[in-house]
Amino acid sequence: MKKVRNMKRIIQNIIAVVVASIAFISCQQFKDAVNTSDVRELNAVVKVTLNVGNAPIPDVLNVKLINYAEKYEITKTMDPNGTVTIDKIIPGIYTITITSEKNKDGFTYNYSGNLVNKEIISTGGELNVTVGASKSGALVMKEIFYCGSKTPTGGSYFRDQFYEIYNNSETQQNVKGLAIAILNPNTATANLPVWPGEDAANYVYATTIWQVPSDKDYIIQPGESIIIAQMADNHQKSNLNPTSPVNLLSAEFETYINTTSIISDNPAINMFMAFWPSPTPQWLTTVFGGAFVIYFPSTPINPVDYISPIGSTSKNYKIKIDDVVDAVELVGNPNQVQLKRVPAVLDAGATTVGATYVSKSVARKVKETKQDGRVIYYDTNNSSEDFAVMDVPMIRRNGAKAPVWNTWK
Amino acid sequence: MRKLKIIYRSGALLAAIIFMQPLFAQTIQTNPATIELQKAKSLWFNTNNGAGLVLDQMKDFTIVNLGYTTKTGDFKLRQQGTREGDINVGAEGGLTLGGGYVWGKISYDNILQKNTQYNTTMLDTDRGMPYYVADPVISDWVKQSYQLSMKAATPKLWNLLYLGIEADYQTKTGAKQMDPRSKTDYYNIDVRPSILFNFKEHSIGFNFEYQNNNQESAPTLSNSQQEQIVYLLKGLGNYSSGVVGGLQGISTYVYSGNKLGGGLQYSYAIDGYKALLSGNYSYRVEDVITAPSKPKMVGTIKDAFYGGNLQLVKAGKDMHKLEIGYKENRLSGIEYVQILDNTFEVQQWITVHSSVRSKFTYKEAYGKYDFFRGADSEYSWRAGVDGSYNSSTDTYLLPHSSMHVKNFCAGLNFKYNIPVDKSTRILAGVNGKFNKNIEASYNYNGADPMSLVVTDFMTPDFLYRAQDYYKAGAEATLFFNISKANTSGMFVKFACDYYKPKEGDGNRVVANFGLGFTF
Repeated sequence: MKKVRNMKRIIQNIIAVVVASIAFISCQQFKDAVNTSDVRELNAVVKVTLNVGNAPIPDVLNVKLINYAEKYEITKTMDPNGTVTIDKIIPGIYTITITSEKNKDGFTYNYSGNLVNKEIISTGGELNVTVGASKSGALVMKEIFYCGSKTPTGGSYFRDQFYEIYNNSETQQNVKGLAIAILNPNTATANLPVWPGEDAANYVYATTIWQVPSDKDYIIQPGESIIIAQMADNHQKSNLNPTSPVNLLSAEFETYINTTSIISDNPAINMFMAFWPSPTPQWLTTVFGGAFVIYFPSTPINPVDYISPIGSTSKNYKIKIDDVVDAVELVGNPNQVQLKRVPAVLDAGATTVGATYVSKSVARKVKETKQDGRVIYYDTNNSSEDFAVMDVPMIRRNGAKAPVWNTWK
Repeated sequence: MRKLKIIYRSGALLAAIIFMQPLFAQTIQTNPATIELQKAKSLWFNTNNGAGLVLDQMKDFTIVNLGYTTKTGDFKLRQQGTREGDINVGAEGGLTLGGGYVWGKISYDNILQKNTQYNTTMLDTDRGMPYYVADPVISDWVKQSYQLSMKAATPKLWNLLYLGIEADYQTKTGAKQMDPRSKTDYYNIDVRPSILFNFKEHSIGFNFEYQNNNQESAPTLSNSQQEQIVYLLKGLGNYSSGVVGGLQGISTYVYSGNKLGGGLQYSYAIDGYKALLSGNYSYRVEDVITAPSKPKMVGTIKDAFYGGNLQLVKAGKDMHKLEIGYKENRLSGIEYVQILDNTFEVQQWITVHSSVRSKFTYKEAYGKYDFFRGADSEYSWRAGVDGSYNSSTDTYLLPHSSMHVKNFCAGLNFKYNIPVDKSTRILAGVNGKFNKNIEASYNYNGADPMSLVVTDFMTPDFLYRAQDYYKAGAEATLFFNISKANTSGMFVKFACDYYKPKEGDGNRVVANFGLGFTF
């Protein structure tokens, strides 16, 4: 009798252990896996709303769906007044861009519209894209050297950063009061700040703003460019970095901060520090790739009018999207294109040199060269398409000229 | 990470305490040939049902060994080292205990792999996990592995049944030596309680199986100034790009898996004839996440295993053993579409879609026959033949890519147990194998056909798997008595296998040197 009781107890214990184990083993983990079915191709219908104002209606629209994570891309064309069905879509997160270009009356019109980070996970969905039109921007950021360089001893050197702004138009431009800003967050991240206010989406938010002085006109003719240097020195000097790829003594402007003996006040005109709540010894923008805008402020910049994201005390400055002349989003590597910070209306893509301190830059691709040798660069508001990586950074590449008032060039 | 280390250390300590006693407590002399013969005779020993150990009537034994295995040559997979060294220390023993039987084994391996490629984070790339990090930098790997196993069976209870349990505990740690490098820790524990009903010559057994495994792989850099681009693999050459280092560098990969399974066994034994039929099924699910502080799903695998095995033994003056079996593994890779809910209150990755994106199927049918001349306590010679057919069919569903490899393999082995004197033996053997590829194809239709993953990793590995090759092996073990009472002995062993593809100049040599003691 005692043996039978022992046997029962042992068997009961075994059953209890087994049942407890099964219950313990994340039933949900097994359920989720078992219920997951095979992937299937999806399709989606793309519809456009043309909002082109007085611009002519484009002849055809180019539709591109890009799944950056999987490097998967689908392209099609469509009639501006019709729809197009895109098939063979793999479920995922897509950036949908619609572009076109048309020349009329001596002007080049760019058409663009996009949806960014749109999940396509079921078949037959509609993708509604509003397509706007603009004449190609007059001032564009033509080349940016942001990643820094290596010293002969293997150290990291970042004082040779520069930003080249080019007159890509047919008419002269005045950069008096032009502002250049780096946006929050400094580096590409999935953790985007949340900005307060109903109209938060109508702005971008800067952490630092420098301005071309407003003391006089700074005219740049078509085909001319200005260089904004972090430090407009010859960086190949022995006391700086002999292996730096650039000599920036001819730069028009520099973001001069007199903090260390290594920083000298060079011939370049000093920019005006318009907004920088927590200055550092130099205007080092992130070598991982920041997001930049150039713009003419519609109202004077007042540093007291800063704004903070929800849950943060950091000080940032609101910039109206309508004021922005050009924007370029830089990221740390190609995989981070999906971590965009800049609204698609300003830049539908992003560009990168892919590493830090590798002496490379990003520069706009040449669209055409005029008979007089003047170069016109791509400006489709999509940095993924407009920019290419340059193995050696160079100021005034492709024959860009310095403005006449630059007497120290 | 810390939790893993605590689990690993306490597990190792506990198992060492448990195993040391039976290993050194018994006194019957054994030698390598007797242990080999005993295991071949013991049909239940080769199942997942520990309760059947008593029916095997195994004798008490203990064997302790120290060995060094070296592998050299370029007939290998990319992820293997051009040269590998493995220092192994182990002990194994079986003991009759109160009418039941307990068996245990403990081993430690210290492994150095020279010049590996395309593996940044995995200690074992063959463990059925397509989601891991790879890079093309040639690098060494240093690994340590501890493996503990035990089986125990009660005496017959109520003249009706036996209860048993088997357990395996394995913990590994390792580090890749060049940037992008990683530190990886892994453990798994596998528990198989069992029951066996015995009615005269008939026995029916059942075992349950539960396995839990965990891995944490932390990619890192020694030179933080130089970020490293890596491939986040998904199978068949498909990948996403990632970077190690920098503000947006990839984070720790955490693998967490569970397996449930069971087995059924039936055996019949009469007049020197024994037959055992067993079937096993298990289902494993393993999730892979990255950035544990804000978890993002990398993938999940679901892995179903089916297997059946028949062992037949005729033991008398000599012993014949025939074994045939079939096993099949169906692994599916699940990938996720996730969006970051960036609202201030939530701030986490939300899964909006999941689907099976890849399938990996492995099938194998095998059979082997062994003859032992002399089947009492040690054989005088043995000879055997074996053959297997295996087929792997891997598919990436969208964009569609596939890899098929089918091989037939046949082998012969012979071993002679030369008695030098009453207690000294030389165990000398040779073996050979030929692998014939029957079918092979690899079609990649993914986004980046010119990537190094496809051209320098997947394609060479596919060609390796699709090769016809020969293997020739030889081994010799000298055993001699070291105690007056003939209760303990010592042996030294040398074994060497040579692999040579039918075409091409590559080869691979695997040599093992060892010494050990039996009690």
